[in-house]
Amino acid sequence: MALYLYLQFPALLPDSLSRHETRLPLAVVNELHRIVQLNIAAEQAGVELNMALGSAAALCHNLQLIPYQAERQQDILHSLAQQLYQVTADIALDPPDGLYLRLCNMLSLHQGLSGYWQVLKQQLDVLPYRYYYACGTTALAAQCLARQQLNLVTADPAVLSGALKRSPLRFTELSCEIQQQLQRLGITQLGQLLALSQAELARRFDASLLSYLGRLRGDFYHALQYIQSAPGFSRYVELLYDISNTAVLATPLKQLLEQLEHQLQQMNALCYQLQLTLFFRGKTPQQGVSVCSAQGEYRAANWLTLCQLQLQRLQLAEPVAGLKLDVTRFSPQQAQTGGLFQPVTAALSALQLVSVLQARLGKQAVSGLMLQNQHLPEQASSQPLPLLHGRPGIKALALRPAFLLPTARPLTEAVEISCGPERLCPDGWALQQQRDYFIGRNSKGQWLWLYRTVQQGWFVHGLFS
Amino acid sequence: MSALLEQLARRQLIWQGNNQQAAYQAVSSGFAELDQKLAGGFPATGLIDIQTEYAIGELRLLLPYLVQQQSQGRLLVLIAPPAQPCADMFSSAGINLAQLLIINPKNNKEALWATEQCLQSGCCASVLLWQLAMTLAQARRLQLAAEQGAASLLLLRRQQAGLSLPVNLSMKLQPHQEGVQLSVTKRKGGWATAPFVVNMQSRWPQLCLSHVISAPDRRRAG
Repeated sequence: MALYLYLQFPALLPDSLSRHETRLPLAVVNELHRIVQLNIAAEQAGVELNMALGSAAALCHNLQLIPYQAERQQDILHSLAQQLYQVTADIALDPPDGLYLRLCNMLSLHQGLSGYWQVLKQQLDVLPYRYYYACGTTALAAQCLARQQLNLVTADPAVLSGALKRSPLRFTELSCEIQQQLQRLGITQLGQLLALSQAELARRFDASLLSYLGRLRGDFYHALQYIQSAPGFSRYVELLYDISNTAVLATPLKQLLEQLEHQLQQMNALCYQLQLTLFFRGKTPQQGVSVCSAQGEYRAANWLTLCQLQLQRLQLAEPVAGLKLDVTRFSPQQAQTGGLFQPVTAALSALQLVSVLQARLGKQAVSGLMLQNQHLPEQASSQPLPLLHGRPGIKALALRPAFLLPTARPLTEAVEISCGPERLCPDGWALQQQRDYFIGRNSKGQWLWLYRTVQQGWFVHGLFS
Repeated sequence: MSALLEQLARRQLIWQGNNQQAAYQAVSSGFAELDQKLAGGFPATGLIDIQTEYAIGELRLLLPYLVQQQSQGRLLVLIAPPAQPCADMFSSAGINLAQLLIINPKNNKEALWATEQCLQSGCCASVLLWQLAMTLAQARRLQLAAEQGAASLLLLRRQQAGLSLPVNLSMKLQPHQEGVQLSVTKRKGGWATAPFVVNMQSRWPQLCLSHVISAPDRRRAG
């Protein structure tokens, strides 16, 4: 037997806004100035769905209004479906606010409906959205029952068909005209309509009613477009008030990162890079911040410290109105093996430390040191990214100074030469540029690495610390 | 009587001179005479204050210690070095370059922040910081961070008058023909010493004068 579950989300837009603002009554208004979505605080204040804007404002003086954004609603629904994809294979969108879940394939995995529902509920409860749900033997039956907010989870066909027969017509997908016509005939419940013979109905009504009833009964094939899992993570949060202090941004950011952590944890993955985008209300173009972790992280707390260090360095031209978090690539998690007998258990790993330092000081301020197979001192050491292993087999030249001056400075004092010369010539035997290196000690006792040019000029090139 | 003594000792009311514990765990400095004066060597953790002129051999004095510190697989960090470090020299001294981190902060504040992060992290064995000024409070904070991460901080700075910092070991270096002249000004669990010479002739013959003096072809330049 086919079994479907329909999830209806009555207030996606208000619920998606930061949870901390739920104490403020919040409503979404469509272009006809009707309330279409509400949060709990607004409901408690007496505002109802489909109420005109004027009456709503009269009932609740501090009602916050958001315009209805169809695109955003679709985005939220889509990301929701992606999250539920972790526990259900077949999910189809029913815009603007519903999801069809086909259960028949999943039940054997979760040992029946109750086991499956437990897993699904766990997923849903993490998310900030309110939801209504119902099962049905067809997708449309489940939809009709869920719209009545029955919250029915059962596979018993008798219960389901009984509930379906009692359903008022306004919860079906029938057009208003047909509903009116049926009402004039004295048909108010779906059961009455289903009892009528199809031939009779075909004579009096157009094809849409028959097609709906056929799909509702399961006689006709109902094609649903199931979603495919998309890699990556992309979430946007609109801030209810503008934030001009980067320290305050941590609160909404933390919620986004927690959602990311949840997703990464389920996929047993981690990510190396986040892209944070700040949106402004004015003309300022959006500002992107990319945050990296050399080790790869999934924990929200660790990402938050890295983001905060980056944000501290940021100058905000304008207060921030919205925040978006994107991750394009996930990587599989690798177990880190630490020595069992290591004397100190490190709070951070070396890679984590590098990420923290880079986030605050900038990437170019942190580097490693690598030996190059070159005889000229300027090219013999390079400063690449930290913690890289150099090519093996390069012999280090003995008797080189600890520090090389960025540019050689002319020698201006008396020096006692102790060692040398060592003649170094640049590529191509450019004899005019050859240098004779000496080790010398000046009157202060400092050991200097000196060279003499062909033109008999003396320069200090390094310090033997 | 001994029963009474035992009872008192168990309640830790008696202090006995012979069970004095070392103030810190020492790591051999690689120079025998220095190890002897420092009762074992440099501290493995905590602050070491070195007042020195640059380029007189202060890093050569520390290299054997740094190699040992690094041998557990932890990092060595150079913060705000006076010039660009040279890979040849560090590599030939036995330091693993893959475990070496160089940090070039923009200002004093960033340098101190980076130092604290490195010390606290627990993945760094030693941090070398070239810094001129440090207050008592900053030194105390770094000392706590170093204890937390079991790391040592070697503070290299020019000689400065002022209050002595709360450190495990403080020493002054003077140039000397055979190596460096070292005087311990302060040591936790020990006494200051008179100046003595750490001889580097066997390890770095080219960077000591005495061997050249005997050579006939000594030249002068400049």
